[in-house]
Amino acid sequence: MPTLKIDNREINVPAGTKVIEAAERLGIMIPRFCFHPALGSVGACRVCAVAFTEGPVKGIQMSCMIDAQDGMVVSTTDAEAVDFRRHVIEFLMLNHPHDCPVCDEGGHCLLQDLTVAGGHGLRRYRGLKRTHINQDLGPLVQHEMNRCIQCYRCSRYYQEFTGYRDLGVMGIGSRVYFGRSAPGMLESPFAGNLIDICPTGVYTDKPSRYIGRRWDYQRQPSLCIHCSLGCNLTASARYRQVVRHEARPNLEVNGHFICDRGRYGYAYASIADRPRQAMAAGTPGPIVDILAGAREAIQQTVEKHGPGSVAVVVSPRSSLETLAVVKEACGQHGWTGPAAAHTNRQALNRNTAVSCLRPELAVSLAADTEAHDVLVIGADPLNEAPMLALSLRQVQRRGGHVIVIDPRGVQLPFDFDHWAVHPSAMGAILQALIQEIGGHRATAPDTPATFDITKLARRLNASPRPVVVCGTDILTPHEIALAGDLARALRRTHKVAGLFYTLAGANAFAAALLHDQPVSTEAVLDRIEDGGVRLLVAVEQDLWREFPDRKRLQAALKRLDHLVVLDYVDSPLNREAGHFIPTQPLYESGGHWINQEGRLQAASPVMAGGEPIEITGGSDHPPRVFDRRIPGDEPLAAWRAVAALAGEDEADPAPQLKTALADFHPAVNLSTPEATGQRIDLEAIAHDLVESGPAPEPAEDDAPADAVVLLLVDWTFGTEPLSAMAPALTRMEAAPVARLHPDEIARLGLAEGRPVTVSLNGNRLTVPVQADPRMAAGVMAVPRHHLLEWQVFGETRVIVKRSQLKAESE
Amino acid sequence: MSENKIKTDEKPLKPAESSGWSALKALVEGFATTAKHLARKPVTESYPEFKRQLPERSRARIVLTRDPDGRERCVACYLCSAVCPVSCISMQSAEQPDGRRYARWFRINFGRCIYCGLCEEACPTSAIQLTPDFENIQRDILTLVFEKKDLLVDGCGKDPSYNFYEHAGVTTDERGKGEHANEAPPVNVKSNLP
Amino acid sequence: MNYLLGLIVLLIKIAVMLGGLLLVASYLVWLERKLLARLQIRLGPNRAGIFGLLQPIADAIKLLTKEEIVPTAADGFIFRLAPAVVAVTAMMMFAVVPLGPDIRLFGRSVPMVITDLNVGLLFVFALSSLGVYGVALGGWASNSKFALLGGIRGAAQMISYELALGLSLVPVVMLAGSFSLTAIVDAQSGVPFIVLQPVSFAIFVISAMAESKRIPFDLPEAENELGAGFHTEYSGMRFGLFFLGEYVHIQVLGALTAVFFLGGWHGPWLPPVVWLMLKIFIVALIMIWIRGTLPRLRYDQLMALGWKVLIPVSLINIVVTGAFIQFAGFS
Ligand code: SF4
Ligand code: SF4
Ligand code: SF4
Ligand code: SF4
Ligand code: FES
Repeated sequence: MPTLKIDNREINVPAGTKVIEAAERLGIMIPRFCFHPALGSVGACRVCAVAFTEGPVKGIQMSCMIDAQDGMVVSTTDAEAVDFRRHVIEFLMLNHPHDCPVCDEGGHCLLQDLTVAGGHGLRRYRGLKRTHINQDLGPLVQHEMNRCIQCYRCSRYYQEFTGYRDLGVMGIGSRVYFGRSAPGMLESPFAGNLIDICPTGVYTDKPSRYIGRRWDYQRQPSLCIHCSLGCNLTASARYRQVVRHEARPNLEVNGHFICDRGRYGYAYASIADRPRQAMAAGTPGPIVDILAGAREAIQQTVEKHGPGSVAVVVSPRSSLETLAVVKEACGQHGWTGPAAAHTNRQALNRNTAVSCLRPELAVSLAADTEAHDVLVIGADPLNEAPMLALSLRQVQRRGGHVIVIDPRGVQLPFDFDHWAVHPSAMGAILQALIQEIGGHRATAPDTPATFDITKLARRLNASPRPVVVCGTDILTPHEIALAGDLARALRRTHKVAGLFYTLAGANAFAAALLHDQPVSTEAVLDRIEDGGVRLLVAVEQDLWREFPDRKRLQAALKRLDHLVVLDYVDSPLNREAGHFIPTQPLYESGGHWINQEGRLQAASPVMAGGEPIEITGGSDHPPRVFDRRIPGDEPLAAWRAVAALAGEDEADPAPQLKTALADFHPAVNLSTPEATGQRIDLEAIAHDLVESGPAPEPAEDDAPADAVVLLLVDWTFGTEPLSAMAPALTRMEAAPVARLHPDEIARLGLAEGRPVTVSLNGNRLTVPVQADPRMAAGVMAVPRHHLLEWQVFGETRVIVKRSQLKAESE
Repeated sequence: MSENKIKTDEKPLKPAESSGWSALKALVEGFATTAKHLARKPVTESYPEFKRQLPERSRARIVLTRDPDGRERCVACYLCSAVCPVSCISMQSAEQPDGRRYARWFRINFGRCIYCGLCEEACPTSAIQLTPDFENIQRDILTLVFEKKDLLVDGCGKDPSYNFYEHAGVTTDERGKGEHANEAPPVNVKSNLP
Repeated sequence: MNYLLGLIVLLIKIAVMLGGLLLVASYLVWLERKLLARLQIRLGPNRAGIFGLLQPIADAIKLLTKEEIVPTAADGFIFRLAPAVVAVTAMMMFAVVPLGPDIRLFGRSVPMVITDLNVGLLFVFALSSLGVYGVALGGWASNSKFALLGGIRGAAQMISYELALGLSLVPVVMLAGSFSLTAIVDAQSGVPFIVLQPVSFAIFVISAMAESKRIPFDLPEAENELGAGFHTEYSGMRFGLFFLGEYVHIQVLGALTAVFFLGGWHGPWLPPVVWLMLKIFIVALIMIWIRGTLPRLRYDQLMALGWKVLIPVSLINIVVTGAFIQFAGFS
């Protein structure tokens, strides 16, 4: 622990800390361009010069290159150092173009700040400025290379940190160029971070290009709800429109970065067809009347058919507030539900994962990066939870090893081992692995010899810090419990071993705490079909888009006496519903979310709501008529609407929310502000599924020889319903295809590039075939793409017989 | 410490100047001066019968000017709206097909403007300028809200020559990379020659 | 019957007095603006009517029809009360000013004063001190920093000058031997006291001007420092009342100066009331001239003048006058 003195103040820092970081701990911000806490030092920009007056190093030195050592005396205000920095700034500005007024970085530009701070107000250089040709880097990132100051942050981030190779540095001398070898779409789904990381305006946000200046934005800490990781971000709104997301550093979750799905997925909150009007059977009306009508309909149904005839489904993406009020309402009135998962399997998967997550095993996304060996089971990081892939990349960068056991053709931007295992074999492999780890020789399951379980077990056993990552999308509860068992088995042999589940939905963890016995939409539909449920309330759950059997859903909804929908996305159900109540997305309501590791996090409301001025003004001048009311300000926070539906009168729902949150679950404690940002009390969650795990499922899934398992899976872009509404991301989406192993294509008599039609129980799904040699045999993966009507089979994992597949001619 | 004293032009009074008599004299002189004024013709010119030609830099109604080649100067950089002490400027920036950044709409609420001229001072393109036309009075306050079409004038105003896009390094329909003032031709990254 | 008649006569006198006061006050405003403009080589009001003569009426209509705003943070009751205090005290002071010798009406002797109090002078002082409350409370109740500062300045200034004002009149009372204004006027039937008491006169005029918050003593409302001082937050007719109070005060000042030093209604040839009016008018003209000439004092100068000059000088003056009366047998 070296102790050094900076500007006459003493500080004690861990060994290996750079002087620039030590100063930062004292609140002294030494200027920097190339240094970044996530990327480390390179000493490229020379602007962090300080004077070392005593100790092991002397003279003017770069504070980002020198480790803090005992006895150092550092002055940041030394005249020579200040002069040095001033000249460096002037040198960096020599070629800088004269375009701040039309640069989107202006207003939050590090170069601007340091130029002003360095006192360089007037250009003395009269020579010619070096210029560069820009590249089209795709729909997300704008390139303006003239503004570069050669700090190398971008190439270091892109190549070293994310592991992608298509952007880097070219040229020599004063002509170095940062870009792609040829213009084209950036391959990395983390490319948006270039915008945050570049200290100048070389990379700027393309979707929000020329929208405004940061000082005009309403900015609040927010969260990403496009997957279960709960990355932290700062949301900006202007003129009643969400215009930009930036990564918000949280060293325990997402570090300094977010993925592009999170960065650009915000458009759903401001698009023109977002429903903002309450409706009764498709006819707009004042929201108070509609709420009253819906409440009356519920009361009548309860009177006629009993409280159980009212059912509630809620989204695992909804805020904790909404979930709590829904839970309270169902509990108090005896309504059926709430259901917060589509199928029974998904509900069980989620709850199994949550109950397996013991406090001593849970690790955060950031702690993942410190793992030595990561075993990924049934998860496709890049597609299901993108930032997990970035975390795993850091494991690999530090010399760790990543093994993925998954039937899909998993891709990661670095070298890893992939065991493409048929889903039905996963359980056996895990069991064998657990036995091996426990020191018993396992009977080798029926797997190819390349998948050497003994070697893997030895490797994990030898690892100082193994982590088991497990998905919950394509697996069954049995395997999910086994993943937990595996982590526990490892823990018995190590002191540190982690377990990390990914879940379906940003608040899926909280949804798992709704019931001990999970309820699914599937089960609710059963009850509708047998006449037990007569009225359905869908809270922010767009069943039309997300329930995996649209036909069955529609038939069931027809049997209902009444449908009440509360949502902030447009859906045909909104107009069919007896009562539709518009709700607010998190930018307006704020709220709490519990991510997949059980961390409770808060998002602040960013704006008050209302129709964007862009829309009210028809993208011209805002209207000149002024009114106290903002057009389109009717939407309510979902919890308020639910409270109004369940409450006796129009009393203030705030106390109701408070009790609902307090009663939500003993593990969740919102009473102290410190609890936010921390993991909830996992100990307080019932762990009865743990240890043995449920009995293996009947061999239903054991695919017969002439069948394939059809998996409906997530893709980075195009499948997550909210981000799929973002126009900026549509160009990033690949067209939906069914991926199969080439041998499988041949075996099934299909042809690459040709569509295949899957017919099952009278439902059909047609999709082009694509060969992917990384896929496991006997598996077909189709994305739940918004351009595909995939909602046909009632499950996202089904067995398809060869006879049910038909190659289409074109 | 003495060198830290603030310097003023004030000279210490001579004893004669600070005596009671001189004070009295000053008083009498003052009263005499004002009394003499009674006999003078007032210097006031009666407006609106007489309209004085105001200096060109006097500050009243604001306009948006154009480049020497007749194109809109404003690049919607938001500096004027940021600096305006009463926040009476609002706009929406956007990109034109030709690559130029411009204000899709631009609004000044003259009901609020205090004609301080800070916007003009902040403008990097000489687009926003105050003019001597102070007779900008409306009965309905809403008509004091000027939109871009009300603000935009033909001509360059007080700055007859400046053209921002001649200097900025960004590509537009008129100038590509290396074609702006003081620019070298674009770098050939494929070359390894020093 | 006698009482009733007395009451009617009294009411008529009050009505005439008030009417006259208000009319003169409004035209005093016009006069001040016009004269001030000429002193500063300007034109002054010239749009409403010929020479702007209808300006006071236009002003009154404007003030009466303007929206009255009571700031949310203000103490509503006191805020509404304060302007009335200022205006009412200023007008009430006129109750004891004698306009002329008694006249005979319907066979009765009618005094040309509303009420001839034997402590008239003290009454005047009491009311002028009460007027300070209007300023101080108005400033405080507005709940605005400028108004509060103005109110505090007003209170401090009046406390300081009240003393000098009172002391400057002691010689007058000594000479007249009475507190009644009528008696004081009567005592000057020969020589006006300005001749006997020039020092007292000077102190009185200076202090009285400070009391009425006029330039160069307008620190409570110093526009360039405090917005408008204690009446910053006032609008409409409540502001009008402050305004009215000030101009009634000028008349009071003129009247008191006339009564105490210029021989009141005494004068040759002309009727007594006219003499008094003339004297008031001259005092008012001089005050406007002062306003048009002198700059505002600095706060420390104001306090120094009051406490270090006026009070000691007036004390000495009392002693000297006393000695004179005692030894020279003057009475
Ligand atoms: S493009 Fe930006 S991040 Fe990359 S080297 Fe240049 S200034 Fe640094
Ligand atoms: S990884 Fe998930 S939570 Fe994080 S930014 Fe991407 S979509 Fe959002
Ligand atoms: S003159 Fe001053 S107040 Fe008026 S728009 Fe410009 S900056 Fe704003
Ligand atoms: S400062 Fe000038 S260029 Fe910028 S927005 Fe205002 S008028 Fe336009
Ligand atoms: S920050 Fe140290 S050299 Fe760039």
